Amino acid sequence: MNDILFTNARLIDPSQNLDASGHLAITDGVISALGSGQVNGKTAKADRVIDCKGACLAPGLVDMRVQTADPGSEHLEDLATLLNAAAAGGVTGLGCLPNTQPVIDNAAMIDSLGLRASRAAGPRLHIYGAATKGVAGTEMAELGLMAEAGAVAFTNATTSIGDALVMRRLLAYANMLDKPVIQHCEDASLAADGEMNESETSTRLGLIGIPAIAEAVIIERDIQLMRLTGARYHVAHLSTRAGIDAVRRAKAEGLPITADTAPPYFLLNEIAVSTYDTAFKLSPPLRSEDDRQAVIEAIADGTIDAIASDHVPVDGDAKAQPFGPAQPGASGLDTLLALTLTLVQQHQISLLRAFEALSLAPAAILDVTGGTLMPGAAADIIVVSPDTGWLVRGANFVSLSRITPFEGQPVQGLVDATYVDGVCVFNRHA
Amino acid sequence: MNIKTNNKPADAVSTLQEGKAAMLPTQHLLGIEGMNPLEIRSLLDRGDQFADAMQQSGDDLSPLSDVLQGKTIINLFYENSTRTRVSFELAAKRLGGAVLNIAVAGSSVKKGETLLDTATTLNAMHPHILVVRHNCSGAARLLSHHVDAAVINAGDGRHEHPTQALLDALTIRRRVGHIEGLKIAICGDIANSRVARSNIHLLGTLGAEVRLVSPATLLPTGIEQMGVSIATELEEGIRGADIVMMLRLQTERMAGTETPSQREYYNLFGLDRSKLMRAAPDALIMHPGPMNRGVEIDSAMADDAQKSLIRTQVEMGVATRMACLEAMAVKLATEAETSKERQ
Repeated sequence: MNDILFTNARLIDPSQNLDASGHLAITDGVISALGSGQVNGKTAKADRVIDCKGACLAPGLVDMRVQTADPGSEHLEDLATLLNAAAAGGVTGLGCLPNTQPVIDNAAMIDSLGLRASRAAGPRLHIYGAATKGVAGTEMAELGLMAEAGAVAFTNATTSIGDALVMRRLLAYANMLDKPVIQHCEDASLAADGEMNESETSTRLGLIGIPAIAEAVIIERDIQLMRLTGARYHVAHLSTRAGIDAVRRAKAEGLPITADTAPPYFLLNEIAVSTYDTAFKLSPPLRSEDDRQAVIEAIADGTIDAIASDHVPVDGDAKAQPFGPAQPGASGLDTLLALTLTLVQQHQISLLRAFEALSLAPAAILDVTGGTLMPGAAADIIVVSPDTGWLVRGANFVSLSRITPFEGQPVQGLVDATYVDGVCVFNRHA
Repeated sequence: MNIKTNNKPADAVSTLQEGKAAMLPTQHLLGIEGMNPLEIRSLLDRGDQFADAMQQSGDDLSPLSDVLQGKTIINLFYENSTRTRVSFELAAKRLGGAVLNIAVAGSSVKKGETLLDTATTLNAMHPHILVVRHNCSGAARLLSHHVDAAVINAGDGRHEHPTQALLDALTIRRRVGHIEGLKIAICGDIANSRVARSNIHLLGTLGAEVRLVSPATLLPTGIEQMGVSIATELEEGIRGADIVMMLRLQTERMAGTETPSQREYYNLFGLDRSKLMRAAPDALIMHPGPMNRGVEIDSAMADDAQKSLIRTQVEMGVATRMACLEAMAVKLATEAETSKERQ
């Protein structure tokens, strides 16, 4: 007896390279059957039968870069709105950064946030522990205790660990715990006071430039440290051709390096900043068109493993400023899937590759649930109408954070329903 | 005074009054980039007439026009300024306008009020023209989206300072007679200079050959794509130049690693008599002020009445800003009329 049976679905499973019509059954929160074509007699019995009418049935997204403002700035986004936005965006697991207030740099913080998330019974919250105390970049935080409490990775959140010795020891220590270190790659001295990508555009606008190589400088250094320590290392929101080239070379060498990027870096370039619209102030900054093309190539060839939302809760006041003092970042959970599908509609990548980058790859990097429709796996799945069009309007976001660089843009791909452990956590048509 | 007065009419004031206001592409004056030669020339032509009329009227500072009669102009300055603020104030008064000066010190800005809150507050007082200086690039543009008044950018961060470029052009035109074809070297701290950017746009648009001379650390990325040539040696950069425009070393915007010392800067990039020998024989010197004497320019040269246009630049500031304010007032009046007709 099945709890739920989905029929007439277009099954998308990157873990089996499967893109075929068929059905899927869930029993006790676990995928119990997966089949192509019509349902046979045995599996046909279910408490509920959901006719997908040709919509896609795919693993839920694992969004590996999300900032939560809870605890500390709950008026910007609290755990409930964050998880609701994730569910509505088709995200069944989200990796959240430790740069909250207070910083998640000890086991008690991991416990507390983890417990609150589990009570919410929504998408899975995967917590990253701060690599250094107070994300100050100087003293190592209690990585071992945080790992025991459930931290899935360590990172300094929105800043690079600049000190090479600190980074060396972090990699060595995290490797001992078999956890990856996630780095926001941006040399702090090269990027000092930076407001946008350094280029002719920054010069015209009179904004202080962040050179693209500020990213590669850190990646190249960290690759050397990987060779020394053998540690797993992940580059967050990779955005430059130079950085991509470095990652590609390290992968060819066989180093355990992975990378993600976010939709702004493959859909927008620095020209968007020309009107000083602070919705386009992001960190890392929007790059050149050549960098954007490099990001697309890297997603297609797998140099960039994953696509994440890079969701940053920012309120209107922090953006209603001149460009320089405005806070970087934008909302991303509501739009992650549709924006990524843009690459499919433009024939840059296949639908399977899109779902691999959105689910299987990040789940593997973080060693967490998700990314597959294999029987026996947790039923973290989504129903998606890939061709349904809608208009991005921050005001309509489920997230409390409503600033988006894609305001007013038409997109295609709508999440109809989201299931975590076989439980429906979002249903658009309910 | 070294102003060319060949074609000075018998009665400059009546020429002015018979003349027409300059035309502006938009309600606001936020930058030179995007303005066409006709618009720029119309502002310079009108500035010329104001300059003549002011010279003729001498010490009599009564209004030359009533175009700003009943209008309020607010000078909102987030950065210190002497010449720009005073010249806007004088310009507005000589057009019959009422001027309010708001300096940051002592205002609610110091108490943490945001730029947009200040804008909303000022907007409630219904000023007609808002003259804004701010340390952030793009600030004037941001304000223009949130106030009903016409906004003049009096300098926004490192971005633009359009009225400075206009007054520089007027100064050159009145002395030399034309801008097209001139070799103009802009020397010094290009990276931090809004004056440089506005001048690059304006002088290039009017057909001058613009060269930049700067230490490599103060040359912003991609500036060569703005239609200029570049030199990192002063003698080479000013070779044959008709105009040598020196920029202030903006120590307040610098981090301390752009140049080793003021002494070295003066040695390599400061303009003195011997370096000026490389320029054209009758080359003229300009500086937007305030000057760091002995840092970017030799003190005696700055005061050389034959070669230096620096004092004239200050004088042209008022005439230029009158032309700009008048053009905006006329544009405001036209728009008011159009909207009335629509109703």
